Amino acid sequence: MIGTAALFAQLKLRLIAGALRGDLQRKLGFVLTLVMAAGVAVLGFGLMTLVRLAPRDVATDVVIVAYTAILVGWMVVPLLAFGLDDTLDPARLALFPLRTRDLATGLLAASATGAWPVATLAVVAGALAGLADGPGGALVGLVAVLLQFALCLVLSRLVTTSLSGALRTRRGRDLLAVAALFVVLLAQLPNLLLNAGLGDPGAMLRGAAGVLRWTPPGLLAHAMADGGLTGLAEVAVVALLVVLAAWLWIKALNRALVTPDASTQAASVREGGGLADRFLPDGPLAAVVAKELKYLRREPRFRVLWFSAIAVSGVIAFSLSSNTPGGAGPWLPVAVTSMAAVMIALQSGNLFGIDGPSLWMNVMAIGSEEGFRTDLAGRHLAGAIVATPLLLVVSVAASLFTGHPGAIPLAFLAAWGALGVGLGVGAVTSVVIPYTVPERMNAFTGAAPGQGGQAFASAMGAFAGIFALSLPLAIPIALGLGWLCAVAPVYGLLVETLGRRLGATIGFARMPELVAAVSKPT
Amino acid sequence: MTDAVRTHALLKRYGPQVAVAGVDLVVPAGSFAGLVGPNGAGKTTTLSMVTGLLRPDGGRAEVGGLDVWRDQLQVKARIGVLPEGLRLFERLSGRELLLYCGRLRGIPRADVERRAAELLRVMDLEDAAGKLVVDYSTGMRKKIGLAAALLHNPAVLFLDEPFEGVDPVSASTLTEVLRRYTASGSTVIFSSHVMDLVERLCDWVSVMSGGRIVAQGPIGEVRGGHSLNEAFLRLVGGPRTGGDAGLSWLGAQPASPPASGEEG
Repeated sequence: MIGTAALFAQLKLRLIAGALRGDLQRKLGFVLTLVMAAGVAVLGFGLMTLVRLAPRDVATDVVIVAYTAILVGWMVVPLLAFGLDDTLDPARLALFPLRTRDLATGLLAASATGAWPVATLAVVAGALAGLADGPGGALVGLVAVLLQFALCLVLSRLVTTSLSGALRTRRGRDLLAVAALFVVLLAQLPNLLLNAGLGDPGAMLRGAAGVLRWTPPGLLAHAMADGGLTGLAEVAVVALLVVLAAWLWIKALNRALVTPDASTQAASVREGGGLADRFLPDGPLAAVVAKELKYLRREPRFRVLWFSAIAVSGVIAFSLSSNTPGGAGPWLPVAVTSMAAVMIALQSGNLFGIDGPSLWMNVMAIGSEEGFRTDLAGRHLAGAIVATPLLLVVSVAASLFTGHPGAIPLAFLAAWGALGVGLGVGAVTSVVIPYTVPERMNAFTGAAPGQGGQAFASAMGAFAGIFALSLPLAIPIALGLGWLCAVAPVYGLLVETLGRRLGATIGFARMPELVAAVSKPT
Repeated sequence: MTDAVRTHALLKRYGPQVAVAGVDLVVPAGSFAGLVGPNGAGKTTTLSMVTGLLRPDGGRAEVGGLDVWRDQLQVKARIGVLPEGLRLFERLSGRELLLYCGRLRGIPRADVERRAAELLRVMDLEDAAGKLVVDYSTGMRKKIGLAAALLHNPAVLFLDEPFEGVDPVSASTLTEVLRRYTASGSTVIFSSHVMDLVERLCDWVSVMSGGRIVAQGPIGEVRGGHSLNEAFLRLVGGPRTGGDAGLSWLGAQPASPPASGEEG
């Protein structure tokens, strides 16, 4: 047993150390992770110790909430980052002659090894210093700390193992890619609530702790504060729960090891020409628009991008309108809607990134600069077809919300201009600084390993370009010449056309390099 | 008659490493040509440069007498390509993929639909035509890739490892289609490791090793009375050591069962 555990812990250390042999970026990432984990450990431990200064009941509440948050983090984060840790997928180990019990011990040992587990242990142990009283409290508290750590490990494994079958199928991964976004948004929720000034933090803490009091982490935190017989009973209950979870996990592991991969059995999709073929003349343009619209619907990375564009503009709109002193002027809906348009257009700053390695098919079919221009036009048109109704909704909502219904047409027209400018700039950045969008996006990177710099440069370039090219209209509009909004769509179209032509000239000349840049392994 | 493919001193470097060191590939029009060579010989790199997917560091490539890089429009209309790795537009169904490829080349929709339907039938992909390419198996991907490469009726077809990982049924479908295609006077160039297959299908063979062409010509001449496999091993320098050195433990019966780990 000990041998297996040590072996797996070594395997995990080797895997971590393997990052050190990679290129500079991976080394930097490794160092950054270490620094962050150390920071979290020290800061967390310190904060948890400081709880002692708070009144007793508040301290208990804080620890209850913190323990629950840590446990939830352990359950959710590995799921979103599935694939980061090679020891997480039991299928990799299925062929080794290991009994399930040995395997389970080993996997737990691997889970407990690493920078983040150590950081977790430090934070969890901080509560001991912050909450426990007397020798009884210290003893019960020590057990509680170890149980909380074990609970994190076992439940995290239970979740990834029972979902590992689903995670290996295409559909499961597609769903998860979008789900990851919801978690990121959810993390923004407390921030937004506090910003909006709903309720006081003290009451919210009491409410949350009251709900979480009887969850396993809540029991542990309470036991630590209690330190008497009640505490002992609570610790015993959680210990039972840990054993039960471990047993469930071994069952799930057994099943996962013998369940075949069924990911290639898929149903047909709904086909049909749709919008593009009804309104566009037959030809390459209609083909590109039809393909792009299908991709927008079916490709999870597109779903994530569009969803985040809308969510980010929502957040911006919310904070802009609630933080404006003395009520919002009619410029606000115009600004908000234009901002949303820029957010949508920014997705087009790397038009070929999602096509990725399949872009060669386009390259083989496109033999002239005009063909490349058509490809760009089709992509822009498809984006505009989806963006138009969205921007209409945003302009109406923003105008009504700020009490300026008269601003609806202005906001919508200005947004069209912003969209055009964004697409035009994006056409150029797409061919000058292309980069691969990884198959599985997470909240931390939007580019293939080694291309983070390109992604950053592309975004910055797009921002700078959009900003500079928007000024000729944005400044007079901001100064009160609202009617200029009517000119905005024309201006946007002009910039889009110029950008598209420039992009096609540059892009056609460097098509092989373009394919290479978006075909990096991820 | 001009050659279907002719390259002059084609060169590609990756940093200090020379992947293709001056290749003069010649393939006569109408031939079924095999490009063979060990791993890392530069086959894929050569094919990528001839098809315009990779920019050469030196030399020229011509297809049907037209320069691949100067006359892109005409060359691209004349060639069909199935590169290795099979990256296709994954989120289109098989039928949609064919429609997209055909229409992107400016073929009218009605024509593309007819051709796609026939190709799907011949490739035995009718049942899977409505499924997303991302859910296809390797054999199905090779077949849909070949269908996409044939859709615009190219004069020269480039295939990189078309039979790798393909089941025997799909492989025979693929060879059948290719035979019919060359019988009409079109040219096929494919790279492969499988000598038997090259020997069976091809009438022209080019052997690459270490980034160069080491032999090229009608298959009978290159073979010179041996099997192609023997001729190939002789040309590229065969197995360097005897197979019997070392590995004496392999296949020996263990004296006792191996230690079964810790007993808990």
